Amino acid sequence: MAGTGGPRIAALNEAAEAAGLASGEPLADARAKAGFLQVRAVDMAADDAALRRLTLWATRYTPTASPWDEENGADGFFLEVEGSAHLFGGEQSLIADLSTRLKKNFGLPVRLAVAATPGAAWALARFNAEPLCILPSSQEAAALAPLPVEALRLTPDICATLRRLGFKTVGALLDKPRAPFAARFSAKLLRRLDQALGRVDEPLVPVVPPPVYHSLRYLIEPIFTQQAIVAYARRLMGMLVHVLTRDDVGVRRLRLSLYNVDGTVETINIALTLPTRSVDHVARLIDLKLEALAAVCEAGFGFETIGLAITQTEPMPAQQMEITSAFAEEDKSEYCAVLIDKLRQRLGPQSVRRFEPVASHLPERAEMLKPATAEARAWPEPEQTTRPLLLLPQAEPAEVTALVPDGPPRRFSWRGETHEITGAEGPERIASEWWRHPLPFPLQAEEGQVGAPARDYYLVENSDGQRFWLYREGIYGRETAQVRWFVHGLFA
Amino acid sequence: MEQLRRLLPGVAEVRKTLPFGLSALDSYLPDGGLACGALHEIVPEPRSIPATFGFIAAILARITFSTSSPREEGLYAGGNARGPLFLVLPTYGFREYGRLHGHGLRALGLDPAQLILVETSHRKETLWAIEEALHSGAPAAVAGVIDKLDLRTSQRLHLAATDCGLPLLLLRPAQNLEASAAATRWRVGTAEAARDRFGLITRPRWHLKLERCRNGRPGEWVVEYDHVAHRFSLAATLADPARTRGASESHEELLARTYCA
Repeated sequence: MAGTGGPRIAALNEAAEAAGLASGEPLADARAKAGFLQVRAVDMAADDAALRRLTLWATRYTPTASPWDEENGADGFFLEVEGSAHLFGGEQSLIADLSTRLKKNFGLPVRLAVAATPGAAWALARFNAEPLCILPSSQEAAALAPLPVEALRLTPDICATLRRLGFKTVGALLDKPRAPFAARFSAKLLRRLDQALGRVDEPLVPVVPPPVYHSLRYLIEPIFTQQAIVAYARRLMGMLVHVLTRDDVGVRRLRLSLYNVDGTVETINIALTLPTRSVDHVARLIDLKLEALAAVCEAGFGFETIGLAITQTEPMPAQQMEITSAFAEEDKSEYCAVLIDKLRQRLGPQSVRRFEPVASHLPERAEMLKPATAEARAWPEPEQTTRPLLLLPQAEPAEVTALVPDGPPRRFSWRGETHEITGAEGPERIASEWWRHPLPFPLQAEEGQVGAPARDYYLVENSDGQRFWLYREGIYGRETAQVRWFVHGLFA
Repeated sequence: MEQLRRLLPGVAEVRKTLPFGLSALDSYLPDGGLACGALHEIVPEPRSIPATFGFIAAILARITFSTSSPREEGLYAGGNARGPLFLVLPTYGFREYGRLHGHGLRALGLDPAQLILVETSHRKETLWAIEEALHSGAPAAVAGVIDKLDLRTSQRLHLAATDCGLPLLLLRPAQNLEASAAATRWRVGTAEAARDRFGLITRPRWHLKLERCRNGRPGEWVVEYDHVAHRFSLAATLADPARTRGASESHEELLARTYCA
């Protein structure tokens, strides 16, 4: 967390508190007090997402759960339990249950308060002496009186001004005339006071859970065959298509769950390259996957329930069809994605790949194979250097005779065959990537030098017309006294 | 309907043949070029597997870069309207030759961004992948490597290629080849490359033999490939000074020809 004077501590754990550090303290002071600190940068987006997920979990107690935003501290949430407290046996048992679950399942120590207004609940949760507290209604004024002014959810500068003026607790504000406050401070102070005491309503914005696309089918008689499973999966997908169309999304990942009669569940996960709403495509992929799993998956007594859940969706807006749709470019990429999905299902997820260039001089690192998508990234403009068509994964040593140690090769033998060289081109010097291997300073060849030696590449052709890519390792005289030659590639 | 389609802009025409652009070669083939919608087998001579891959890459590069009209070239300047090229490679049996290198394909004029590699571990999977790719309507051409192919399977592949009008190029590394339903069968060997007056290699050369050609005649050539213009040309075998010089070269002349940067 940045502030005046450098980074400050935003949050600390128990060990840090025991060592005497406090939140809001400059990091440099903290480092001076405690010896070794593990520091991590604040990630506001991840914290917000985690709070949102926790609030979604808490909707098991009530449909109206609202996480706190920045203004309120962003480290808690409101739950409106008026309508649902009786289902858990009263407010007391509800908060006991909530606090034990949070502590046991998530490992989070909590401070809970139940009150008639959100403002009072916030204040009590933050500043009350006990961690759990239930406030009977119409006692807010008495309960809030001893709490400090920060309990009213005001900005730090308003609180500082209030303290300077002598108002240290909420009780000091309660019985004063309102007009001077309205004149001196913004309307926020009075509004917060009224919200806390219940004179003004404070509506909560409940968290909206993400939509779930799920269809389930209970079968009268258990099914055993792959054809039947695919037919039912097709029907389930058909049921979901109109919901997907309504939301303008397509499927990227889905899970087919087959519930066996004896209680076990088989799940099949399918991933797609492009979002799709096509029932045929999904059915074909499920068919291919079941074929691949046929040996592993046991039908046993049969499957009595089938469920299809869509676990990942992506926006897929409607597209306008062309009149010459058989030749349109968009359709080509769709066909391509469908084909890639089918190939991946049967051959494995890493089997369909494209070349991607990597910015590196070393030929073996200059490209990699990445899983293919329907779109391709363009390659940068080529340089004027020659590269072989086939590259050996490990450069193989070769016996080379050359007229001078740092001259071109004349004859070489590799894999048991000797080749007379009729023409050699080069050398092309490719040095090692010094930023990956630290070299000692000053840069001289020493004992135990770390860092690969430079390579001088030659394109050689033998009398038959076969063309090879050889390299000599090490700059003779400067890096090594022993020349070693390797074959790295084969040209067309 | 066909007339209407031709009038509309941006419609890719269905191609019937892929000419080599070399009349000495095209005159031997029916339709004046490699038939799209047919199976073509390409067999390497011993120790010529890199040359065979190079020949296939050259053909694929010609497919990607030839357009039938200048207007179409302008419309689809950024990508290939006809789809990517699918190359089905088995992971078995090719360890000793290494992997295809994307920059090397670039040096032969084939843009690696247009290529999708499919790796299979079983001959049945290779056949299945080739058929799926042909039937899907996505690629512009399909190439694969299969060693054993009986007559019935080759007929099936040929029919699949004919149905979708795509060329299917198969590299057959086996030595004893059975009868097959392929439209053409080529044998590729190595040949010394063309050199300029400094002794630098300018263009690769391959020894091509058309062994079988349905409705055509067999022939034998030494072709040279220009990766910039994606063009084949006939190597002037008799008039080439490099080849005539090779027999009676002395040691000093060889040294003088070797170019050191």
